[in-house]
Amino acid sequence: MGNKMIVPFGSQHVALPEPVRFVFETENEIITNVEVDVGYVHRGIEKACQTKIGYKQVAYVVPRICGLCSISHNMAYIIAIEKLLEFEAPKRAKYLRVLAHELDRIHSHLFAMAHVAEAAGYENLVMYLFRDRELVMECLELLTGNRVQFDYGCIGGVNRDLTPEVEKELRKKLKKLEERLFWFRDVYLNDYTLNLRWKGVGVIPKEMAEKYNAAGPVARGSGVRTDARAEFDALPYRELGFEMVVYEDGDIWARNMVRMDELLISMRMIWNVLDGLPEGNYKENVKGMPKGEAVCRWEAPRGELFYHVRGDGKQILTRMRVKTPTFSNIPVLKELFIGANYADVPAIIISFDPCLSCTAR
Amino acid sequence: MLKMFIESLKNLFSEPATLPGFGTEPPKGYRGLIVYNKEKCIFCTKCELVCPAGAIRFIYPEDGSRNLEYKYNPYLCIYCGECVRECPKEGALIQTDKMPEPATKEDNPNETWFEIEKLAEESKKKWQLALAKKRQEALKKAQQAKQGKKEDNQDKKN
Repeated sequence: MGNKMIVPFGSQHVALPEPVRFVFETENEIITNVEVDVGYVHRGIEKACQTKIGYKQVAYVVPRICGLCSISHNMAYIIAIEKLLEFEAPKRAKYLRVLAHELDRIHSHLFAMAHVAEAAGYENLVMYLFRDRELVMECLELLTGNRVQFDYGCIGGVNRDLTPEVEKELRKKLKKLEERLFWFRDVYLNDYTLNLRWKGVGVIPKEMAEKYNAAGPVARGSGVRTDARAEFDALPYRELGFEMVVYEDGDIWARNMVRMDELLISMRMIWNVLDGLPEGNYKENVKGMPKGEAVCRWEAPRGELFYHVRGDGKQILTRMRVKTPTFSNIPVLKELFIGANYADVPAIIISFDPCLSCTAR
Repeated sequence: MLKMFIESLKNLFSEPATLPGFGTEPPKGYRGLIVYNKEKCIFCTKCELVCPAGAIRFIYPEDGSRNLEYKYNPYLCIYCGECVRECPKEGALIQTDKMPEPATKEDNPNETWFEIEKLAEESKKKWQLALAKKRQEALKKAQQAKQGKKEDNQDKKN
């Protein structure tokens, strides 16, 4: 018989800068029961979008849900509204949307990987990753005019065109970044410390991931073939050489390697966009009011983002619903903890890359 | 080992990755403060309607004329640039690449802005009333003038 103990994790914790609270019941440092609370940063954005703000302005409010995947929220909402208005964006706008979104994915994944490395006690790698993340941030700043809140997409296209000077700078910075990415892949594959810490820890079998509806890199790390980009026809992903990354192992290492390989595929798509950017308008005027119902599935960096909008021909929408990827990953996380070692908890949570300001909204 | 040695030697002589202290300038095309030009403005108040944050407010004059006062809160603004895109007159609103200076306690940005919001709403109501009165008077005058004309015509016919 061991000692029963209740250990709280969060809502403020050194390992995780997000306000989430877990209460673990442990027996000899093995977890027997978990309780989760995710509602610490509820801001009522959905309600505000249904009562106060017009549908065109909502496109600038929903990016404020989350800092890291702000452009995903923006674009998912815009595409849902464009479905309602029966409008198709010009081809140049579609390519520019892919460009901004994939750049955003790179910076988000680098951030997540840096945090996982920090949880493994590899501070040097954190510094390297954050230094090279700065290159993507500068690219995004040049393209959209801001580091975090891009406000790039709008109903009818995108807000800014890609000028030749910006393109030149982007190419220079991305080339530098790509070399570094290959080096990082080498480290993640072959480093002794990282392999020792991550392999075989926090394993999600494929059946469990399917049963509890995991999303994003977590699902792909356990061998579930799910990616909204593969079945998405509003943006030209297949033209640009999209490929799904799937690892079968299901541990922390596999989740990280999914992120790492996705970075390289995002990089390839960005090069394809820059090389084959079609000419034409980047924005067109859209007329009409949203009437009816529409949904949009969008692959955010953390998994599948879901938007549901309903309008009745007025300025203000009658319903707007957001389902975020972290929310769908919480049941798997809870199931995964039972039977795990308490010492692995920070590494497991961070390998899920949770975004609580998305989840609580 | 040799690789590491070369890397450390390189780092010894290369520039630091972190930026040296203050004074970093935003790049070209940065979305910064919004500047207003009263001479070009036509007072259509489209920017006020379209602003998601409500950072632009107009204070209406009491006499019902179209000489509005522009108020802007840089600490509420989200710098999306929607007002600039919506503006029908070119040059009335411009997005610059400057950042706002941080507000201090003496500036008291919240309280002053709440007062402005209140004033804007009240003045708009008063202005609408004044405008309605003006229109009614104008209508009356027009009707009287019509009647007068009719009478004149009748007189002429007679």
